[in-house]
Amino acid sequence: MKTFRSVLIVSLILLAIGVVSAVSWFLRVQLYTTRAPFSAFIMLVVLLAAGYIFMMEARGGKLFPVRKIRAFDAIEEAVARSVEMGRPVHMTFGFGTISSAMAPQFIAGLGVLSHIARLCGKYGAKLITTLGVPEAIATAEEIVREGYYSAGRPELYDTTYNVRYLTDQQFAYASAVQATIFRENVGANIVVGPFYAESLIFMEAGNMVNAFQIAGTARETQIPFFVLVADYSFIGEEIFAAGALASGDKETLASIRGQDVGKFLAIVLIIMGILALLLPGLKGFTFVDILNWVWKVG
Amino acid sequence: MSLVARRYTPQIIVTIIILLSIAFYYLYINRDVAGAFSTADKALSDWAVIITSFALIVGGIDILRFHLTKVRKEGLKQAPFSLVSIGLLVTMVIFALIGWYISYSNPAAGIAITTQPQFRWLYLNLYAPADAAVYSILVFYIASASYRAFRVRNPMALLLLVTALIVVFGNTTIGGVVWPGFLPLRDWIMTVPNTAAFRPITIGAGLGTVVLGLRLLTWRETSWMGRRE
Repeated sequence: MKTFRSVLIVSLILLAIGVVSAVSWFLRVQLYTTRAPFSAFIMLVVLLAAGYIFMMEARGGKLFPVRKIRAFDAIEEAVARSVEMGRPVHMTFGFGTISSAMAPQFIAGLGVLSHIARLCGKYGAKLITTLGVPEAIATAEEIVREGYYSAGRPELYDTTYNVRYLTDQQFAYASAVQATIFRENVGANIVVGPFYAESLIFMEAGNMVNAFQIAGTARETQIPFFVLVADYSFIGEEIFAAGALASGDKETLASIRGQDVGKFLAIVLIIMGILALLLPGLKGFTFVDILNWVWKVG
Repeated sequence: MSLVARRYTPQIIVTIIILLSIAFYYLYINRDVAGAFSTADKALSDWAVIITSFALIVGGIDILRFHLTKVRKEGLKQAPFSLVSIGLLVTMVIFALIGWYISYSNPAAGIAITTQPQFRWLYLNLYAPADAAVYSILVFYIASASYRAFRVRNPMALLLLVTALIVVFGNTTIGGVVWPGFLPLRDWIMTVPNTAAFRPITIGAGLGTVVLGLRLLTWRETSWMGRRE
């Protein structure tokens, strides 16, 4: 019944968009820009609606199981191991700025930092957060402070020690992070966020001091480095789920199910594309042409 | 700070910015509205750049605070390193200010902050070589990481090693001498299995971004503010 209601809600939203579009066409008003395909707007609305419906269902008491992300579970192990060894935990969340397309990964990195800060407060670990973007200084300080304070260990919080802004120049940042890992002899090296060429420098520095390494990014070109060198790695979308997992809130976790709807749609479109390639054409138009027209022009 | 300012104000700003960004990107209505959207969209980007620029000042102060605290705590052992860092930071700021003053007082001279002679000399002769040196370290790190990764410990590692060897031979001139088939095989690996593996990661990352946006819109994602609720 709930599934039927969800499908009905999404259908009604799409119908409303269709009606508005039809009325605007009738009134000769160009409602949507031509620089972005209308199908992309529809996909965005469907994904947002699906995610929201799952969140509402979770509020109603329905439980959505989320698969274990080993890298996320390993964070607690990394912090505990560092405490046992008497070494600090190092975290950095990359070189992407909040004003660029890397902002979502930056936010995901902050979510992981929040989780690490709480664990460091819980186990009494020293946390060193290194930054390569100045706009994150105040946020990182707040997150680390909150982590220690909420765990009842305010005496462990030292702004100068815990949060270190290094520079906004890429390889100067890489060099400084590397130096911090060596000099502080970190027990755990956790790097989650947007990373560029500096990613392997961080990983190898952590490897040289035998640190427990957890890494994650959604930048495809850096994922192979992290998978090869880190003990555990978040691959692609997993970094976005980390913030939801850290919250432990069932509504927030339910939103991840919205991604599954998107994946299902992507698989359907890929299969349709493959089938369209195999089908014969119609009066000079192949089915791929028709599918492309629907997708690009809408 | 009041609860409203600390908890709700950032979330309201984020919600408004997300909704405006969607509207600016997708809606047109008519030429005037589209023009207004474009101007407002650029203004949002400019604000982000301005905020980042102010954040750099905070960053400079943060670096000074860090080094002064280190010197105070660790004394002479740390002092030389921190003094070099502080000295270089202050030197660059002084020359940048001179450049800014010249550009303001005598625009005809054509000197700006980054083109001020001493600033430029320090950048090109101190910073740029050091930057390139750190970048070049990467080649040794790739070699050491590859050595550890390609050790054959199980069948999957063997597959990785064989694939890597084909790509390496396909990328080097000696590969073509040993067997001409390395080049087309490398191209096939890079364009077919490699692309097929990357595409789902890209799609997944895009979907993850949309759902993160949903959580920000519905105020369920609060970890970026340092608190859960």
